[in-house]
Amino acid sequence: MTILDVRGLSKRFGGLQALSDVTFTVPRGQIVGLIGPNGAGKTTFFSTLVGLIRPDSGSIKLGDTSLVGMKPHKVAALGMTKTFQNVALFAESSVLDNVLTAGLLRFDVATAREQALICLDRVGLKSVAHKLAGDLSFPERARVELARALCTGPKVLLLDEVMAALNPVEMQEIMDLIRSLRDDGLTLLVVEHHMRAIMTICDRILVLNFGKLLADGTAQQVANDPVVIEAYLGRSAEAHT
Amino acid sequence: MKRWLALAVLIAVAAVLPLLLSPTGYWIRVLTFTLLFAAMAQAWNLIGGLANQTSLGHAAFFGIGAYTSTILLLKFGISPWLGMFAAGALGGLAALVIAIPTLRLQGHYFALATLAFGEVMRVIANVWAPLTGGPGGLSVPFTPPSFAGYSFKQLLPHAYIALGALIIVTGIFEVIRRGAMGYRLRAIRENQAAAEVIGIDTTKVKLQTAVISGVLMAMLGTLYAQVAVFFDPDTVFSAAAISIRVALIAILGGVGTAAGPILGALFIIPVEELMNDLFSAGAAGLSQLIFGAILIAVILWKPRGFITLWDALRARFARGETR
Repeated sequence: MTILDVRGLSKRFGGLQALSDVTFTVPRGQIVGLIGPNGAGKTTFFSTLVGLIRPDSGSIKLGDTSLVGMKPHKVAALGMTKTFQNVALFAESSVLDNVLTAGLLRFDVATAREQALICLDRVGLKSVAHKLAGDLSFPERARVELARALCTGPKVLLLDEVMAALNPVEMQEIMDLIRSLRDDGLTLLVVEHHMRAIMTICDRILVLNFGKLLADGTAQQVANDPVVIEAYLGRSAEAHT
Repeated sequence: MKRWLALAVLIAVAAVLPLLLSPTGYWIRVLTFTLLFAAMAQAWNLIGGLANQTSLGHAAFFGIGAYTSTILLLKFGISPWLGMFAAGALGGLAALVIAIPTLRLQGHYFALATLAFGEVMRVIANVWAPLTGGPGGLSVPFTPPSFAGYSFKQLLPHAYIALGALIIVTGIFEVIRRGAMGYRLRAIRENQAAAEVIGIDTTKVKLQTAVISGVLMAMLGTLYAQVAVFFDPDTVFSAAAISIRVALIAILGGVGTAAGPILGALFIIPVEELMNDLFSAGAAGLSQLIFGAILIAVILWKPRGFITLWDALRARFARGETR
């Protein structure tokens, strides 16, 4: 069953074509990796999906509901949210309050607090719940982002580089978490620069370059796609093969 | 528990204080205005502190409140107690009308837009003479003293009403700050895009806050009219004497905290009175200059206001206790 249906999505910023006719669908319960060189349009793409950026053309459907022109808070209420690549926590609030605030989308304060503790437990940060978010290390803050997004009760979760700056143990923990979320019925889109992580956890990988969808397939298919290799390594790659 | 005890003591002191002052004297008047301005700064603190939108146009709602209840009393003999609710409704409506276009603006732009709105209201009140009495102002008509008629011979009941208003407005502020709306407002203040993405309707929350703030400010305008007995457009719609002063009180005291506006008013209003007394002969208006200097000093060294001094003091005592 298709949960996310994106057709002909385009966005131009002045002279820059940030997204160009992006089309794909995601069935419920898949982990989809989104890769591409820096500036490929990955973050713009996520921002457009959740309604922070309005596309010039194209359609986005979550289940049967069209999202184009909808504000981010409505998109979140319908069940899709994202984390921020550069980490956008409420730095002067406690870790718990950061996550609790997201829980208010569906619960009152007391229930949201319980939900927030469950979400923090899930990302392994329950012990720092009462610290100020701004006092945490960068990898911890990325996990608070993840907990906060989870606490909105999403169906589709867009993770923008939550594994940046993690050590291998922490990375494994997050990969296990992403898998367990998928097993709970969530659909996840994951932007990550760490190729091995992406290849390991993703059921499927989309490759973006200059705002265009270059490839769409399994890790194996994408890794062997000459177009993808060229985009990543430049023209000379062809000469070596 | 300790907090509640401290609060009870504070309210008890505040309740006894008016009795110690001469009921016809000068200081009970200062106290009444201190309490009233603390309540006004607290109403401002909702939008200025919790939503972090520095309004410099709150005189608009204040003046609307003063005029609404007084006109209703003059023309229809309606008790100011009821007029106060009409004032609140109109103040809330005005806040909604001004908030819709201005809340998109950030920082200085919002401050300037609200400042302009306050001035527009002042001009309207000056020009619309058939309703407002124009530049000549309005006198609250004398009615036989009675609580129901909101008419008293002395200032003492006004002091208690102002104290009650301060307690109520502070209570509303605390309920909002601690509740779901407080969490949402902090989220918006700290990162608007993140707030939206986790499901907060930022426009709606800010509008609600602006309206509540406007309603309370207008109702306090009614209280002011009843104490002052006479007012004109240049007084109640004054940018300097109302809009900027309430912002100054909250910012000096500690913006976004419940205690801030109270500390700020306890400092500013009495000190202003003293300075006007001292300097009125030689250098009228010097107090404005001094407050400007104090504001700059506070922003440079203690941007969170007097409340940080209090917190530092408390921390020192707490450390002393544990030793």
